[in-house]
Parts: sequence; C-alpha cells; structure tokens
Amino acid sequence: MDDSTNRILQRLIRRIPSQMFQTMLGKWAHLSREDLHSLDFTQPKWVLTEHLLAHCEEKGLTVKHITELEMIYIIENPNQGMWHGFQLLDAEEDAPSIELTQFKEQFKANLTELIRHVSIKIKKHTDEAIWIRVAWGDNFTKPNHLKPTYVVHHLQTPYVFVTGLTSKHKPLLNQALVLATRYGSMKDAHLSGRNLTAIRDLLMRQYQQVFPTKHPKPLQEKNPVPRNPNIEKEQAENTENRLQMACEAFGDGTLPQLQKAVYKLETKFRDNSNKTLTGREEPFRGVVEFASTNLLESLRHCVSSGMASTPVTPLLSSITQKGRNYFVITDKGV
Amino acid sequence: MEGARKGVLGHLNMLEMEASNLKQQDLRQSSCEEELNATLQALLRKRDQLQVEIKANTSLQKMRSLLDRTGVPCERNEDVDDQEDGSDNSQLLLMMAKHTQLKDLLHAHHLIGGYDVLQTRKGKGVCVSLATAYEGVYLETYNLEIDLGSNLRICRHNIPPFIPLERLVTQGNMQTDIRDFLDTLSQYLNAYAGRKQQLHLTKEIHSSVQVAESNALCTILVLMFTVPGEKAGATLCTLQYADHTQCLPTRVNIQSEDTALASSPQWKKNQALLLETPLHTALVTMKKTGSIA
Repeated sequence: MDDSTNRILQRLIRRIPSQMFQTMLGKWAHLSREDLHSLDFTQPKWVLTEHLLAHCEEKGLTVKHITELEMIYIIENPNQGMWHGFQLLDAEEDAPSIELTQFKEQFKANLTELIRHVSIKIKKHTDEAIWIRVAWGDNFTKPNHLKPTYVVHHLQTPYVFVTGLTSKHKPLLNQALVLATRYGSMKDAHLSGRNLTAIRDLLMRQYQQVFPTKHPKPLQEKNPVPRNPNIEKEQAENTENRLQMACEAFGDGTLPQLQKAVYKLETKFRDNSNKTLTGREEPFRGVVEFASTNLLESLRHCVSSGMASTPVTPLLSSITQKGRNYFVITDKGV
Repeated sequence: MEGARKGVLGHLNMLEMEASNLKQQDLRQSSCEEELNATLQALLRKRDQLQVEIKANTSLQKMRSLLDRTGVPCERNEDVDDQEDGSDNSQLLLMMAKHTQLKDLLHAHHLIGGYDVLQTRKGKGVCVSLATAYEGVYLETYNLEIDLGSNLRICRHNIPPFIPLERLVTQGNMQTDIRDFLDTLSQYLNAYAGRKQQLHLTKEIHSSVQVAESNALCTILVLMFTVPGEKAGATLCTLQYADHTQCLPTRVNIQSEDTALASSPQWKKNQALLLETPLHTALVTMKKTGSIA
C-alpha cells in the first residue's frame, strides 16, 4: 500500500465519527468477524488507525476497497456537504424502461470514453436509489480519490442529485448521465441544500401534501379532552383557515429541511420618494436570502400564526410547488 | 303642625313618585310593544322567505325527477302557467337541477372508488382526488389541482414523478375530454398501486422468497427462489411489466443453475401461472405444488 492509499485511509477514518466507527467497519466486507472483534474500540482513534493500516497492508487491500468503506459511510449519512438537484429533460421513447444493468453499463462506458482516467463505483441502495461515486483524473494523472463526486439517481424519474462536482467536470458528468438515462438534456433544478433526503423529498414530492377536501376536519375522537368551558377562542374559524392555507402551500407534518431560499431581484426601482434611484433604466439589483435551520417549517409557522398575509404569496409557495430555492425575479415575473 | 306638613309633603312626594313611575311604566310598555312588533315583522319576513324557498325546492325537485327519468327538462303539456311566470326562472331551475344531478353523480362516483372533484378558490379552480385500490383495499389518494382558465392547466399535484403525467397532458386530450384524461391517469395510478401492493404482500407473506431487484415504478422485479430437493439451488425469476397500465407481468423469465429446470413442465406451468395471476397468489400456489420452498 503506497503513501496515497495510506493518506486516503487516514483521512477517511478521521472523517467517520467514533460512535459510528464500529457499525461502519462491520458493514465493510473486507474485515472479517475475528478481525473486527480483535480491534478494541475503546482505544483512541489514532491507535485504531494504526491497527487498520497494518491490517490493510497484510490483506493487500487497495484503494478500491477503501473507497467501498467511504461509500458505505456516505450512503448511511448523506446529509453532509452541499447537494444540488438536476432535472433531466426530453425523455426519449425508451427512457421509462431503462433497467439497472443497462444503465450501469451505459454510464461506465460513456464516462470512460469521455475521460480516460476515472474511477467509477455504482451501488444500488435498498430504496431503489442508484449511488455513483466518481473520482476524477485526467489524461495524465490518476483519479483523485480525495475529492470524489457522488451522484444519486432513481430510475424512471427525471431527477439527479449531485455533490462534490467541480465546474470542470460538470459537462462530462452531464453528458454521461444524459446518454445513460436516454434523455435529451439535463438542466439545473435550482434546488440545493445540505440535506439530501430533504431535496429528494421535495423534488419527488414525498412529503405530506395537503389538498382541499370535502371533509377538512379530522374525525373527532370518541372521548375528547374536556376543554375548559370558560375559555372560548375568538376567531377560531380564521385560525383554521390560515392553518389550512399554510398547510396547502407548504405541506403537513414533518417538512423537508431546507436551509436557504435565495431571490435574486432584477426589477426596476419603484419607490417614488427616493429621487436618485427611481427612473433609472437599469434594473435595481438585489438579493434577498431567507435562511433557517428548517426554512419550510418557519414559513409555515409565519403563515399559520398570521405574520405573513394569506393567501400565501406565490413567491413563497413556489418553493414547494416548483421544488426550487433559487429564483430570479424580473419585472415580467418569476 | 310639623307632623301634618310632613304628612302632606310626604303624601305629595309619594304622589309625585307614583306619577313618575306610571310614566316610566308607560314608556317601558311602549318600548316592549315596539320590540314585540319588530319581532313580529322579522318572523313574518322569515315565514315569507321560507315559503318562497319551499316553492323553489318543490319545482326544483319536479324538474330534477323529470330530468332523471327522461333526460328532457320540461314537459310540454303541463304547467303552462308556470312557464308564463318567466322563462328566466325555468332556465335557472334547469341549471340548478343539472347542478344537483352532477353533484350526486360525482358523489356516487367517489363512493365506488373513482375520482372526486371539488371546487376551489370560489370557482376558479377544481381539485380532483383520484383514489387507488387493489383487491378491495383502499390505497393512496392522489390529488390534482386544475386551474380553470381558457386553457385547463394543472397547477399542483402530488403524483409521483415516474408516472408520465406531462406526457399524458401534452399528448392526451385534457383540454377536450377531461373524463378520458382522468380515466387514463386513474388507470396508470391504480396499476402502479396494484403492483406496489403485490410486491408489499409478497415481501410480507413469502419471506422465503428474496427480492433481488425492484424499481420505484415496480415494472421490473427479480426474485430469487430456493427450489427444494437434492439440487437445492437458487432460481432467478425476472418479471417485466412492460404495460404500465396493467397489474400483471408481460414477460416472465426463469433462470436456474440447473439448466433443465426452466424447461421442465412443472416450471413451464409456473411461468404461465405468473403471467396470469397476481404475484402473491401465484407464489402460494407454487408453494403448495412444492416448486419452491
């Protein structure tokens, strides 16, 4: 095992938090049970690193095997780094009937054709998602395993989620994906966040959406909690209406965790009290950014408590309806 | 003298008070009377209103029963006077009768598990709820919110992305024949729900059968069976559902380590069985005949 492999392994072990270390190693196929038991996990990490390095030397493990461990770790903990959503457009006739082996072969063939030194690993997760790990090199250098790109795709859906992609390699990845999935082109879905499950749920609409129904009130329980008869809620109907509108715009229950919504303004300045800025021909450029640990939850609360006016403005409800969190607003619309 | 004056003054006081009391009583009586009068007027107005409503409802019911029975809104010979009443009235009644008929039809459709349509945003949009069911069990409900403009436009929906909604909208006839569009969409959704339910039941009931591969749209399924006997090898069965509007596979492929297995008459029968019956019931039969463990 050469230096670079050692470094990769050390980096990886440093990255995995100590609590998860044992479970991750348990899932790795290249560590037998006895070896796993022989490692004492109460020791500090650097001791364990030494042991593992020695073990890998013994077994003659290569970078390929170490990257498997990295992939296992990332699949279990996908909510780190910055994920970007992409949408595939113009499906061809046979796009809905692509199957896994076909996709794998096509993708590998396409990408290796485009760039010679590249290391690809494809894994199918139990929830029908395909995980691809790509380490990029170029025509003269070997693939760089310290900065891999991860791609997640669900077959038969037009969405792809990518993290760790540089702009240099973006067109190559685009082309390989487009050819392998039999679509016409791929465009930026303008949705990004730290939480892969959140952006996936938002784009594939897997959160609980609310629609107007004939029976909006849930069924009453047989023994409701006795409410204090001396307390009467004024405006109970208004509160209910607001809650219904908030849920219709953003969803019910646990919402996908988005961290930011960015609105880039390219509209003309309109306030007549400011003489210097009004009347200029060029648009007034500005950027409005909403940030929160759980943005959709905060927006829903704003609407249901009355802080934001109802009906919900389409600028806010487009976040869930169009599945984006980056908007450019011009005078003609969003 | 003082006592007599007190007496007189006292008496005068008393008389004064009595007089003012009487005046107040009068006032109160007249205000009571006014109130009662007002209530009376309100009740009379309400009675008149209710009478008008009853009359409208009875004629509506008559119109509705005519519509239901014959499909023709009015009978020529009867009720010439009513028609003289104002043809606007009868037009309005006709619209109301048709409206109630449509609402009842939709309700009946909803009860049998079809789709349901609801008006939203004060008539500017409708929300269609499509229910899916398989083998008598209700599964998920999908919703579509449609904007009623000069062109119908879907503004919001919770249909999963692997159902080809855009293709159905652009290549289909949503603008001209919405019932056809909704029927096709309902077919796709029900078939998807059916396939998903079959897979779910298979995983629950038949734990000896392993699912090697499946996809989100449930159109490709690879199962691994264990065949009992001396040659206890693994058998791979690939089911392909090329027709996305059906719950049954279009192709079944059996591969085994034992090459003679696939061509044996027992397994040929199994192949036909898998093509014709839903997956979980086919597996029950296969277990009974001893083909799989």
